[in-house]
Amino acid sequence: MSTSQARKARLAEALASLGPTVERLSRLSQRSYQNPYTAVEWPAEVRPEEEWFGSPEYLSLYGTEFWERLDEAARRRLAFHEAANFYSLNIHGEKGLMQGLAERLYRKDLLDVAGYLHHFLDEENKHSIYFGGFCTRYAKVYRSRQFSFEESRDERPRDVEDFLFFTRTMIFEEIVDHYNLVQSRDSRLHPVARFINHNHHFEESRHLVFGRRLVAALWESCSPSWDGGTVAGVRDHLRQFFTTSWREYYNPDVYADAGLDEPWETAERAWLAPAQREHRRRVSRKVTTFLLSGGILDKEPVDAF
Amino acid sequence: MRSEQEFRDQLRSWIRSKSGEGETAALTDGTALFEERYLRSVHLPELLLLLERLCGEPIDVEELSPRDFRSIDAMVRRYARSGVAS
Repeated sequence: MSTSQARKARLAEALASLGPTVERLSRLSQRSYQNPYTAVEWPAEVRPEEEWFGSPEYLSLYGTEFWERLDEAARRRLAFHEAANFYSLNIHGEKGLMQGLAERLYRKDLLDVAGYLHHFLDEENKHSIYFGGFCTRYAKVYRSRQFSFEESRDERPRDVEDFLFFTRTMIFEEIVDHYNLVQSRDSRLHPVARFINHNHHFEESRHLVFGRRLVAALWESCSPSWDGGTVAGVRDHLRQFFTTSWREYYNPDVYADAGLDEPWETAERAWLAPAQREHRRRVSRKVTTFLLSGGILDKEPVDAF
Repeated sequence: MRSEQEFRDQLRSWIRSKSGEGETAALTDGTALFEERYLRSVHLPELLLLLERLCGEPIDVEELSPRDFRSIDAMVRRYARSGVAS
């Protein structure tokens, strides 16, 4: 059997082992099928300086020199713009995710998971409707700094690209889910903010189960045939992805809208603040532990912390 | 206001930290950063943020051209205009 045939056989076996999980998750998705146009009652207006839209301890300036200088109204205003930024980075992340899911839908070697990919795709689109609903009604969709061009793209074998796609998705969703869970339980938050966070957490919990199982299956089936350079490249890419993902939480555009001076310097200093570095390490712990314990990463993504 | 030299130094230092190359590496201001794999697409959002900080202005991703990112020289030519003393 050639290396390629052996890899395909291992992948088929790994995906087949996901069968019961995929069936269970699909049943759960069918049972909680939603209409995003009727599931939430949007208030006519909101009061950003009087109500909390994000948990203060999860704001990007919390624990930094800037936080102490903000009065209560300014902190709430920052929380409002950061909520819009959080929803925006989800919209941009989900755009890439939907693109990747659609590309893999009904691909021959992924047929075993096609049924669940339909749910995944459908649910991501609905999440973006909620996020976009908030941003366009009360704030704005913050721009993305994600872009690429031909010379910057890596030519990778398909199994490496698949593995990176699903692992990036898992990292992104695990970080977001931590925020969702905390904010869904925070009684200080405006009901709409709690609803959006709760709903996303509820739905994403299925995606996270799927993501962890699929990433482990892909790693176990594909990585044995990768040479040392490929494995090192995969690990470098994932470590940098932690940094890229986390940087989006420190958006100079948000600081400008919240009325802070020198928004780029503020972003850089907040990024480097010890309290924020510890926050990122703590929020990332669940997914870094998963990646380290499975041998996917061989060291912590320290640049992100 | 940053000098052009400071602009170059900060870019060079950041690129070295990302590429894993030490001070002795063959990186020059004319090196083709993406073709020679000093940087990859996963680095671009952070690079854009760094350029915005050095310029002190937002950069619209919809108006970007790949040639503006080809090398340190190219980035200096394109972005070290406003906010940077030459």
